[in-house]
Amino acid sequence: MTVLLLAVLAFALAAVALTRRRLLWGVAVLGVHSLVLAALYFALSAPDVALAEAAIGFGLVTFVYLLAIRRTGRIAVAAVECRPLLYPEGEEVVGLVWELLELLAARTHRELELRWVERGEVEGLLSSREADLAAGDLVPSARETAFPQVPLLPTRIVRVRRGNGPLGAISGSREAERLPRGGRLFPRRRELLEALERGELGGAVVNLLELRSFYLRGTFRDAEIEPLEDADFVVLFAPDEGELAEALREIMTELREKGEWEELLRRYL
Amino acid sequence: MKRALTIALLATLLGILLFGLTDLFPPAEVRPWAEMARAYGAGNGVASIVLGSRLYDTLLEVLVFALAMVGVRYTLKPLGKWREPVVPERGVVREMADVLLPVIIVFAVYLAASGHLGPGGGFPAGAIAGSGLLLLAMAKGIERLSRELHEGTLEPLEYGTIAVLLVLGCLSIPLNHRGSGLLVVFNLLIGIEVTIGAWVVLHYFASHRGEI
Repeated sequence: MTVLLLAVLAFALAAVALTRRRLLWGVAVLGVHSLVLAALYFALSAPDVALAEAAIGFGLVTFVYLLAIRRTGRIAVAAVECRPLLYPEGEEVVGLVWELLELLAARTHRELELRWVERGEVEGLLSSREADLAAGDLVPSARETAFPQVPLLPTRIVRVRRGNGPLGAISGSREAERLPRGGRLFPRRRELLEALERGELGGAVVNLLELRSFYLRGTFRDAEIEPLEDADFVVLFAPDEGELAEALREIMTELREKGEWEELLRRYL
Repeated sequence: MKRALTIALLATLLGILLFGLTDLFPPAEVRPWAEMARAYGAGNGVASIVLGSRLYDTLLEVLVFALAMVGVRYTLKPLGKWREPVVPERGVVREMADVLLPVIIVFAVYLAASGHLGPGGGFPAGAIAGSGLLLLAMAKGIERLSRELHEGTLEPLEYGTIAVLLVLGCLSIPLNHRGSGLLVVFNLLIGIEVTIGAWVVLHYFASHRGEI
């Protein structure tokens, strides 16, 4: 009776493991399956085989699979902080782009692994494949246009000027390339903002979302604004991640068809 | 085509299993263990069976395992290394590894040392200790652990273990005395061998990239 019960359980667990879409769950269930199998061998009075099954099937194989999943199954995201596209809120990550990335992860059955980076690091991370994709405050610079990319939102690069003094921009960005001679570069938006508030700068070259955050903080209400060029916020992919880019493009098309895209935009912007 | 092939394969397998239920095969003759124990100087039932009918089986298994390891090593070596992305240590996994690792290692040594008294022996012990190493690799990242383990010293240790095992196995034939004590040594050595093997195979597959 015990043997029969255990055998049925083992079969059921194997079926469950096969039908899991997420690899991690499949591996976990497979581990339990191995344990039940070990119990079955024990019930059939083969303790030696049971021990080997538990050690190899449950221990070794599970760990090998887990390591493989950890190595290949995650989408490594280089994230450039940008309210409201992609930003940390307490322990959580939120934003419009984050919702898109979660859809992408669900579609490709992979997990997201996020790393906050400075704008200037993006190109190096993508070309060395340390990141599979980069997102957030990201208008591609001239060199970055070579990477596969999916445009998300139209924006505009503008020059804001309030008084005399050098202009500032975030280093490595498209905006920095439009910076006139003598401009100053900052690694992150926060530092740029602080410099502006201290009055060290006479203005900045920014995109519309940065301009918006300046307005929200009360900086630059009375500045003169001059548009420089139209551009897009994009998600950039590492050179060999064309499939991932294709998947995101499909998701965007579906969202637009179903009208959920407008809903998302309304919620975040 | 694929489906038909699968069904045919399963049917063949079932047929072979059913064939085993018929009386066509005479049951294997097993010598009573007391007699084997006397012949091989074993102190108990498990040891007498291992010494009497499983010893060379186990030794050759180890040899096959070692060959597989050498194969992995030398086919993957020319493929070139793959730089591992910087993976931060996982807090939870690291803490759990610190707690579990001593228990795992002690259990593995116990299994190897008591392999002549009950279920266990070198193979499961090695697999368990290998799992412990893989757990550590999960917490620390494979490359970092590899540096800490000194790959250079592992290789001579591994080949040395095989050599000692084979010499001991061959010596036990002309001397015609095996004994439980020899079994303990065998099991510990096999345990070391399998532990290193598990680690080497994983490490080589994880750190080399290329088309095979």
